[in-house]
Order: sequence, then C-alpha cells, then structure tokens
Amino acid sequence: MTQRKTRFTLKTLTAALVATVAVGATTLPSLAQADETSCSPFTPLIKGQEDFVYVWTLGVEGVGDGSDKLVTVDVNPKSKTYGKVIASVSVGGRNEAHHIGLSDDRRYVWGGGLDSSKIFIFDVHTDPAKPKLVKTITDFVEKSGGIVGPHTFYAAPGRMIITGLSNNKDHGGVSAHVIYNNKGEYVKTVNIPTGEVGGGKGDGYNYDVAINPKKNVMISTAFTGWNNYMMDLGKMVKDPEAMKHFGNTSVMWDFKTMKPLKVFSTPGAPLEARWSWNKGDNWAVTTTALTSNIWVFKQDGKGEWQAHNVGTIGNPADIPLPVDISITGDGKGMWINTFMDGSTRYWDFSDPMKPKETYKMKVGSQVNMVSQSYDGKRVYYTTSLLGNWDKKGKDDEQFLKMYNWDGKELKLGFEIDFYKEKLGRAHHMKFQARDMSKLQPLHAQADDLDNLKLAMSEQK
Amino acid sequence: MEELCARISAVIGLPLRGGLFFLVWTLLLGGAAPDKPIAGELKPVTSETDAEIGFIPPPPGSYDLQHIMTASEGRVLDADGTPRRLSEFTGGKVTLLSFIYTTCADPNGCPYAYLVFHRLQNRLEQDARLHGKVRLVSLSFDPKRDTPAMLRLYAGDSGKPGQPIEWSFLTTAGLPDLLPILDDFGQDVFLEVDPVSKAHLGTYSHVLKVFLIDARHTVREVYTTAYLQADMVYNDILTLLMEEGLK
Repeated sequence: MTQRKTRFTLKTLTAALVATVAVGATTLPSLAQADETSCSPFTPLIKGQEDFVYVWTLGVEGVGDGSDKLVTVDVNPKSKTYGKVIASVSVGGRNEAHHIGLSDDRRYVWGGGLDSSKIFIFDVHTDPAKPKLVKTITDFVEKSGGIVGPHTFYAAPGRMIITGLSNNKDHGGVSAHVIYNNKGEYVKTVNIPTGEVGGGKGDGYNYDVAINPKKNVMISTAFTGWNNYMMDLGKMVKDPEAMKHFGNTSVMWDFKTMKPLKVFSTPGAPLEARWSWNKGDNWAVTTTALTSNIWVFKQDGKGEWQAHNVGTIGNPADIPLPVDISITGDGKGMWINTFMDGSTRYWDFSDPMKPKETYKMKVGSQVNMVSQSYDGKRVYYTTSLLGNWDKKGKDDEQFLKMYNWDGKELKLGFEIDFYKEKLGRAHHMKFQARDMSKLQPLHAQADDLDNLKLAMSEQK
Repeated sequence: MEELCARISAVIGLPLRGGLFFLVWTLLLGGAAPDKPIAGELKPVTSETDAEIGFIPPPPGSYDLQHIMTASEGRVLDADGTPRRLSEFTGGKVTLLSFIYTTCADPNGCPYAYLVFHRLQNRLEQDARLHGKVRLVSLSFDPKRDTPAMLRLYAGDSGKPGQPIEWSFLTTAGLPDLLPILDDFGQDVFLEVDPVSKAHLGTYSHVLKVFLIDARHTVREVYTTAYLQADMVYNDILTLLMEEGLK
C-alpha cells in the first residue's frame, strides 16, 4: 500500500510520541490476561478503557448517502463526545458490509462486502478518531481463484487471513481461506476440505476462524453461500432446497502448515469461533445457528481434538437463531445473542463441558453482534444480521447499545439509533485506543514468561 | 548483581551480554526466573517451569512456507561502520532477521529474540551441511545509541566474522535510513517519553517481530513473541534449505 510509505516519516514518528511512563527493568506489569472478544492473539490488545468503537455499517437506500460506511463512536466516558458518532467514512456503494478485522499491528481495519467481494482497508492509527479509507481491493475473486464473499478478517503475523463464504462457480457454500499480506497483496488460497480428514467428511463450507498459537492450531466453522445469504430470509426458510445448503462441519487446522487435521460434524451452521485465553485452558467454542447447540473443541487424553455438544440455547424448535458470541477474557463466561428474540444470554463457562445459562435480557427487536471490553465490564450490541435477513417494519431496529455489566445485570450506558442518525444497518464492531504504544498481543505481556522459560530450558 | 549474573551465565551455559544480560537482570529482579537452575539439557516444559507445553513443530520439508512479501531494501551500517545495502544481508542465504535495540529490557522483546537466535546459531553450527547457508541479522532501531562500536560490544563472540553461521549486527546512520526499512517490514516502534517533560526516556515500546527470508529476498514467515520458538524456526529454516536441494 502506498500510504504505508509515509507511516514512519519523521512527522508521523513525532506524532507517535506518546506520554508514557517507562517501565523500569525492575518493574513487571501486574498479572492480567484477557481478550477483546474476538481479536487475533497476534494483534495488540486494549487492556484498559477503549476510546473508540468502529461500526461497519450497511448502507440502506434512502438513508443518508445510502452507502456502506465505517462509523466511529466515541466511547470514552471522560470525553465530551462520549456516546456520540464522531466520524463516518463512506465507501461509496452498497456491498453487503459484514465483518471487519484489525491488522496485526492494529493500525488498519479491513472490512469486507459479502456481495461485491470488495475489501476496504482503513487507516485507524494516524488519527484513530477519524479513520481514512486508504485502499480498496476490487480483484479478490480473480486473485483468489474464484472465492466470493470475504467474511472474517483475522490477523496473522504480517498477514490477514480472510475467510470466503462462497465461490463464483455456483455461488454455493464451498469456499476457502484467502491470505493477503499486510500491504494488501494476495498470498495464497487454502481450500476448505471436501473429502475425509481425520475421520470426518468435509463439506467445503466456511465462516469464521480462530487461532491458538500456543497449540499451533486454527479452528474454522461453516455457514452458507451467496445464493442463501443474499436471499430474503422469509423466502429462504420456505425453500427446502435452499435450506439444504448450510454448512454442517467445523475443521481443526495446523496453523503453521495450513493443512486440515480433522473435520468435525457440527450440524446446523456453526458460526463464530473463539478460544479460551485463560492460561492452562485448551478449548475452543462455537454455536450453531440453525440447531442452537454449543460445541466445545478439546483435546482428549491422547492429544486428539474432539468436538463435544455441551449445551442447547433456548428452544431449538423455535429457531432462536444464535448469532454472535463473546467469550470473557478468563474463559469463565460467554455472551450468546439470539437474533429472533433480540436477546442476549450470559452463559457460565466455569466448566466448559457443562455450561449454564445464568442471565438473559432483551436488547431489542433484533440483535446480532456482541463485543465486550478487555475487562468484561462494558458490553456493546448491534443489530444487523444481513441486509435481506433483518426484520421488516418497526422490528427493523438498527442501533448500537452499550451496557455496563456488574456480573449480575446489564445497565444501559448509551444507545445510538443508526436510522435516526441516517447511517444504516449497524453490524460488526472493533475497538480502538488513542494510544497504542503500550498495547501488546496476547501471551506477550511481560508477566507471561513462558517463552523465556521454554527457550532457557531448551537444549543448547 | 554482576556476580549473580556470572553464576547464572555458568549455569545456563551462555555468555551474558547485551540482550541476554538484560533478560537475566529482568528475570532476577522481577522474581520471574524458574525456581530451579536451568540445565542445558532438552526437556519438555513441565510443572518445573510452569510454562505451557506448546506443540511439536511439523517436520521440515513436510509443508510449504508462504511467499509473504519481498524483503525491504535500504541503507545500513555493519558492525565495522561500513555502509552496506540491506539486501546484502537478505539474499543468497536463508536469513533470520529481527529488529532490536541493545538496551531493551522487555523480557519478551529483544532479549528473548537474542536468546532464540543464540540457540539457533549453536544448533545450526552442529550440522556441517548448513554451514554458510544460513545467516542471522539483528538490526537496531536505535541508531543514536546503537553505534557500530556499541553493536560490536553487544554482539561479542556471536558476531565475529567467519563463523559457520554468521550473525550480523547492523545499525543505520540515522532515522532517514531507518524509518523506511521499519515501515516496509511493518515493525512498529514507539519512543517512550516522560509524560511531563516529553523528553525521550531512552526506551522503546514495540511488538517483537522476527522475519524468515529465503535466499531470493522473499519473506517466508513472520514470528511474534507468541509464536517464536527455536524448534519451529529451526524446522522452517531446514524447510527453506530443502527447497534449495538440501538432503
């Protein structure tokens, strides 16, 4: 990207000077470990108060400029513009904006369009309060060998792993992971298995990924192809043929080699994937949209990865449609949103093999995404699932709501009506900090000395 | 402290210079050192070290490393102060490159990279087939203090020329030469300043990145602290050499 050439000019370096108190060699930071919901473990994490929330927003005809946009909300309670929209970057057109992801240096946000297969890269470090669109990738389908629908943007060192949801041959769900470098250049396409791997039969479908670098593994999940995600929801559920075309598998990968290790049968469209980052934990989790199950992936006594169906969300017969999840930093709890009833549910994961729902609250007529702060005290919600799947009429609420969580109850902090603000449908969120100088990736804190212990215990 | 460090040096079998000195210093003062003396033998990570065991790296040659990007070009100074092109140090051999500064005290930063590099140099030297085929490069992002003379001191015996596995310690003439290199590699560095006076405190904040570069100047892997293990890097180096015909 040409804009990177100026990233470390003297001017920008001066701008990067930050008022920090140096940590002396005799002082180690206090023990703390958590995540921001879904960030890659390679991305520096915000441990304290987040300053901004970026909301990747679908344009709606007749609402504002009608284009997809990255909306910036000031969420620092000490700010004069707390709880307000302070910036909006339109990409000029509607692409079925869906997910966004932070680069491994947290300087860029990548956002995808499921319909157009365009990828938009925003500079969020030069001025985090005013993101700037710096690159648009328009040849993703061509470069990737026919992959359609860039969904998850998950940072790996020097790269971005992009999950594709579909393909340009039949617009079905068989797809691939596509890897780009941080300059926005294509690197590699990795197909989702369609044959037998590790005793399970792959269906080729794709959705989300999550990496556990400590184990050199990556879990991926499966949704559906362009034919379905661009279809009207009401029409689709009445189409038996369409309903056959949902992914029913999850895949554990060797992250280093990007080779599949094992395919698991997790029927009913397993969506978001998360690892517990609690030290000593060794499990990942997903939920299935159509069957309302919670699946935990864990190694058995022989070291082989196994999938366990550990819980049911609501009444599956009602199809509550579990959508986004957000695991706490200590892996002891997880928020699960159910789109149809507009509710968020807190599940106690103290025992991940026997999780229990302990709290439920209706957030709105519909709710999709949930993101919690590093410390779990602030929980943010947005509403849009897909442009053609959102509810109609008065139930088509589109908002960002922030709640404070005291461990017992969610209390509303602020809310922004995205229609009233003439923005569009509020979808995926990512946090940002004004000062990124002290942020470190997971497992890179000075109090986490495993690497040093490992290195020093190695044979010379 | 010096006496204590000398004793630690004797136990772990490594000279305590530069980054390693600061590493041990930090571990000692931070109270984070393993409870028992570290022997030189290979052993799994157990409750003795209380570290997560990680994984067994895939065998060399059983996988492909991605062609991530072309390694950056730029003007550098070697440890003798001679102006050189960075490309002289990123081609012809398999190269492992990291950005460091010699006074770094972050135990998961430069000292850790130094330790991993040192382990790799020793291990690679044990296989005559690898001699002359691999190089290590440590490039300073503190040109003001990391002069060629300082780098020679920091490098000690590790940086001596003519070794089977060369380890080059590089710096730059100043920020105008350094910044484009950092920018192109994607290595972030923040100067730490006093919050009141705004004076530079002499320390930097950065996320450790280590770059594995093939003989054709192409970056084939990037490691960060959470993913930098000597065993894995060693296998990756062998994988690249096997591409070049190493049996």
